[in-house]
Amino acid sequence: MGKKRKHSETNAANNVKKEDGAEERPKRTLLGWKNKVEEKQETDSVGFRNKEKVLVTCSRRISFRYRHLMLNVVSLLPHCKKDNKVESKSSKGATLNELVELKGCSSCLFFECRKGKDLYLWMAKSPNGPSVKFLVNAVHTMEELKLTGNHLKGSRPILTFSTNFDTEPHWKLLKEMIVQIFGTPKEHRKSKPYHDHVFVFSILDDHVWFRNYQISCPHTADTQKIDRNDLEKMTLVEVGPRFCLNPIKIFGGSFGGPTLYENPFYISPNQIRSLEKKQKAGKYAKKVKAKTRRKMHEMANPLEVDQLAHMWDEE
Amino acid sequence: MVVHEATNDDAGMEDSENESPESESELEESESEGDEDVKLAEPSKNAINNKDGLLEKLEDISWPQNVEWMHKLSVDIDREQEVDVNDDLMRELGFYTQALEGTRQAFVKIQSMGLPFLRPSDYYAEMVKSDTHMEKVKGRLLAEKKRIEEAEERKKARESKKIAKEVQAQKQKERAKQKKEEIESVKKWRKQRQRSGFPSNNKEHDLDLSFEDGKGFERSKKQQWVAPGDRSGGKTGKFGGRGNKGTDKKKNNREFRNSKFGFGGRKGLKKQNTAETTNDFKGFSKNNNNGKKRKR
Repeated sequence: MGKKRKHSETNAANNVKKEDGAEERPKRTLLGWKNKVEEKQETDSVGFRNKEKVLVTCSRRISFRYRHLMLNVVSLLPHCKKDNKVESKSSKGATLNELVELKGCSSCLFFECRKGKDLYLWMAKSPNGPSVKFLVNAVHTMEELKLTGNHLKGSRPILTFSTNFDTEPHWKLLKEMIVQIFGTPKEHRKSKPYHDHVFVFSILDDHVWFRNYQISCPHTADTQKIDRNDLEKMTLVEVGPRFCLNPIKIFGGSFGGPTLYENPFYISPNQIRSLEKKQKAGKYAKKVKAKTRRKMHEMANPLEVDQLAHMWDEE
Repeated sequence: MVVHEATNDDAGMEDSENESPESESELEESESEGDEDVKLAEPSKNAINNKDGLLEKLEDISWPQNVEWMHKLSVDIDREQEVDVNDDLMRELGFYTQALEGTRQAFVKIQSMGLPFLRPSDYYAEMVKSDTHMEKVKGRLLAEKKRIEEAEERKKARESKKIAKEVQAQKQKERAKQKKEEIESVKKWRKQRQRSGFPSNNKEHDLDLSFEDGKGFERSKKQQWVAPGDRSGGKTGKFGGRGNKGTDKKKNNREFRNSKFGFGGRKGLKKQNTAETTNDFKGFSKNNNNGKKRKR
C-alpha cells in the first residue's frame, strides 16, 4: 500500500489552488449555496487520500481498567473499528493478521493483558508494515474525575511531538506510525471539521508519554480569526486518557517477522517481580551464613589466655 | 578448654573455609544486582538495533514527501531542558507547554490556509465524554470548592472568636462609661435647676423627682399572689370558699363557680400544694379526717 502512495501525484492539487484565486459566484446546489472552501477541499483530495483504518481489539481476560483505556482510545479515533476480544496465546499473529484483513483495516492496535496486571500494546501496520510491541505503564482513563476537559467526538487532533523523535531511526519509525494511526484522516466521514484537542507524544526516559488536552480559546462566535492576543490567552484542559509506552521490540512484519530493534534497557515485569521476591527470600539463608562465618572466624582467631585469669585460683 | 576444642576442629573446618569464599562472592554479586535500579539495567550488548532495516521500513510506510501538512497535522516542539521523570509536576508542565506551543503553531498555520478551525459556539455535536459524566466532574469540582470554603470559614470563625472576647470587653466598658456620663449629666442638670430657683412645689417637678429617684418604676402595690393554675387570677379567695348566701347568690353563683373550677382544663395544678398552703390546716380536723371538707 505504501508503495502505491509514493507514486501518487500531488501536483494536481497545487494547480487547482492557483485557479481558485479567480472570483466566482458560488454554485447553487440542492442543499443551497455552495461554499468556496468546500470546493477547495474536494479538489484537494484528488492528490493524496489517507484511507487509514485502525482495528482496535484486546485479548481475553483483560482487566477493567485496561478495557476502559481501550474504549477511550476507540472514542478518540473515529477511523477505528472495534472488534471482539481475541483469544491470544498460540498462533496469535496469524489470527490477528487474518482478522485485520477481514475487517479491511490497514493497521491495528492490540491490547494484550497478561496475568491480569501487565498491559502490552501492539501497534502494527497490517499487510507488510512493521509492528511494535509496547509495555503500557501509568494508565489513567478518561473516566477519572480529575480530568475535567471535554471535546468533540471525532474532531481531528493536532499531534505534537517532542523533537527527540528525530534522533534515532527507531523513534523516527515510531513517529511515522503514530502519525498514521493516531491522526484522523482528513475528511473522514465521521470526523468533524474543527480542531479542539491536541495529542502530546513526548519521549522522556526512553518512554513515549501520551497526553490529550482540550483547547479552550476565547474568540468571538462568528469569526474564524485569531490574533496574537487570543493565542496568548489560550489555555488547555486535560481530557485524558494518560498512558506511557515503553517500546520493547520492533518487528519487520505485522505481528511477527524479523526483529529490527530491541530495547536494551528493557526488563520484563515478570523479571522485576521475581527479583523483588528473591531479595525478600534470601533473609534466612543470609542469617545462617553469617552465623557460620562468625563461628569460623572465632575458631580461626582464638583468644589468648589471659595472664591474670588464674591469679586467684591458688588462694 | 576452648583452645583445645578449636585446635581439634580446625582440620575439619578448613575444607569448609575453602568453599566459603566462592559462595560469599556469589552472594555479593546477587546483592549488587538487587541494589541497582530495577528498571534501568546496563544496556544489554546483544540487543538488536538494525538501523538500516528500520529506515527501510520507514521508507516503506511513510506517506509521499510532498503530502500536505493538513493531512498530518503534526508539529514538532523542542523541549528546552531535560526533566526528571519522577518529578510529576515538572513533567506534566513540560507536556502542557509542548501542547500549548504546538497548538499555537498549528493554529497559525491553519489560519494562514483560511480553513475553519475554531468551533462556533452554536455548533453542538456528540462529545467524547457524556453529559452525565461531565455532571459528575462538575459536582466534584463544586464539592471541592465548597469544602475549601467551609474550611476557610471555620478558620475565620476561630480567629474572630479570639477577637470577639476583646471586643466584648471593650463594648461593656464603653457602655458603663456612657451610663455614668448620662447619670452625671442628669445630676448636673438637676443641680443647676435647683440653683436657678425653680419652684420645688410644682406637681411636674414632683413627678420628675419621683422618676429621677429611680423609684418611679417600682410597683406601687404588691400584686395579689396567684396560685399556679388558678384561672381566676386570685379571685377565689375574694369570693370565699363558701360563697355568699346573700341576695346576689344566684347571680354570682356561675361566676364564682367559674372562678373556682374554671372551664375545663387541667385540674391537677389546682390540687397541688403551694408555699402558702403547705402549713395550712384549716380544712383539717382530727375528728373528721376523711379530707372531703378540705377548704382553702
